[in-house]
Amino acid sequence: MAAFIVTILIISSISAALAALLVLCEKYVVNYGPCKITVNGEKELNIQGGKPLLTVLRDEKIFIPSACGGRGTCGVCKVKVLDGAGPVLATETPFLTKEEQADNVRLSCQVKVRNDIAIEIPDELFNVRQYESVCAGIEELTYDMKRFSFELKNPPSIKFVAGQYVQLFCPKYKGSNEEVYRAYSIASDPNANNRVDLIIRRVPNGICTTWCFDHLKEGDPVKMNGPYGDFRLSQSDAPMIFIAGGSGMAPFVSILHYMQNTHNNRKVKYFFGGNTPKDLCLDSQMKEFEESLEGFEFVPVVANPPEGENWTGETGLVTEAVQRQFKDLSGHEGYLCGSPGMIDASIKVFTALGMPEEKIYYDKFA
Amino acid sequence: MKQSPQEKNLEAMLRSTKLVVGGFMGTDARHPFEVVEQDTAELERLGLRREQVARRMQELTERAKPRLGNWVEAQAGKLRVKSEDFKGVLTCPWPHPGVFEKRITTAERLDTGQKLSWTDLNIHMIESHGFFEGRGAFFRIEPGEAVQILFEGLTLSQK
Ligand SMILES: Cc1cc2nc3c(=O)[nH]c(=O)nc-3n(C[C@H](O)[C@H](O)[C@H](O)COP(=O)(O)OP(=O)(O)OC[C@H]3O[C@@H](n4cnc5c(N)ncnc54)[C@H](O)[C@@H]3O)c2cc1C
Ligand code: FES
Ligand SMILES: [Zn+2]
Repeated sequence: MAAFIVTILIISSISAALAALLVLCEKYVVNYGPCKITVNGEKELNIQGGKPLLTVLRDEKIFIPSACGGRGTCGVCKVKVLDGAGPVLATETPFLTKEEQADNVRLSCQVKVRNDIAIEIPDELFNVRQYESVCAGIEELTYDMKRFSFELKNPPSIKFVAGQYVQLFCPKYKGSNEEVYRAYSIASDPNANNRVDLIIRRVPNGICTTWCFDHLKEGDPVKMNGPYGDFRLSQSDAPMIFIAGGSGMAPFVSILHYMQNTHNNRKVKYFFGGNTPKDLCLDSQMKEFEESLEGFEFVPVVANPPEGENWTGETGLVTEAVQRQFKDLSGHEGYLCGSPGMIDASIKVFTALGMPEEKIYYDKFA
Repeated sequence: MKQSPQEKNLEAMLRSTKLVVGGFMGTDARHPFEVVEQDTAELERLGLRREQVARRMQELTERAKPRLGNWVEAQAGKLRVKSEDFKGVLTCPWPHPGVFEKRITTAERLDTGQKLSWTDLNIHMIESHGFFEGRGAFFRIEPGEAVQILFEGLTLSQK
């Protein structure tokens, strides 16, 4: 029996040592030599092989969105690899639908560049930059939402389309030893291009929101990259419905600034939902937009107005308020920002009221 | 007790802050398998199995989901629930493909005011791994508390 246990111990130690050796070889000894990455069939990057595609692209100043810093746990860093990536790894499959796999979509943090490869990325990613900024202001909007203003230092200005988002870098702090990036919609005026405002809602025990709410202070340096995303106003003049809840307010503030800047008087009704009046915010800013934008109307909706409080506005869910106010939305466009559950519920209501699916806009990436 | 390399990796993952603030083990010095064993024994003593707890949590989550973060009564006059979801996903710390929406459901007893919050990942970890998280973890579910809050007033067949 003792001999048997010793044999097992020896065999497992040898396997562990071999596995460790393989990892070390991969890291320090194996040299994959120079490799070429062809981007969108045009741009060629000559790089040293051996690193994950996400890292190689970042070194080349091409920023692919990523939320977990490349550990394969967020599924955000998707890129189309047309050629040279090898088979899909087990670490990737939980994040890729069958259609995406058939379409050569891969997690760029899991694909190691070992030979020449060809990739396809949206052109707008070439405009993404890394920004160093300073936290210039923190304003409490509700009991669980704050507006953070960041003054850009290097580079000192950003060009973005209202509706786009940035990836905020969250450093290590007490209780969290990992550096992560999280996406936040830009809530500032696109013309005020030397700063970025974010409206952030605290997520209980969330890595980045705990840092923002409990650790980040005015004057602190903060890194972010962006802009990303194709959520934006269409070019048409169809009447619009915006629906948001909680921090979903952010991109609409930016879009309303843009409409103000461009004297856009498109008809728009903005339904903003909260559980109680305490969840509502930016009332006076919305009033200012109503005064300057002829076609704009703000409709706060409260699900549970507390008894005794004099709430005269819309009640119930935002989707119920939309259903009460509209019977036919076939000529409207819909814009959504909020929780995935709210987005799904709103799409159902919009389509039931005749709005074509292709006229419903939201950030698909969740 | 000698741990296999896989067990060691799992324990390190559960104690690390890679996936959640403070890790899944919190300040608990026990081995994760001890946590599982002791919680399973405690549940047994209370006459329930982990699958029943997970099923009840799932049922309450489904009940709350359509109300988009607003309270809904789950047991007339006794229990209300709400469920909030956030963009993004969380992965199970066990080495298998498992991705869960970031959703927090809270149940509140209307008689005692006791509250219990859990995430979709908690439901999976309880059902598939018998893991209620370590003491001091933010989403540690105390089996006794869960039974009190989620099952009080239910008949045997409803459990
Ligand atoms: C395009 C886009 C735009 C966005 N814009 C905004 C915006 O403008 N404003 C905004 O506020 N947010 C926005 N978000 C969401 C934002 O990116 C983050 O996802 C959000 O702030 C939560 O990040 P976090 O790091 O705090 O939480 P995370 O740490 O990523 O997640 C926290 C979740 O982990 C779970 N959890 C924690 N601990 C445990 C445990 N011990 N056991 C089990 N489960 C646990 C909880 O369910 C909690 O829900 C946006 C997201 C996207 C994709
Ligand atoms: S960066 Fe998170 S999965 Fe790739
Ligand atoms: Zn699991």
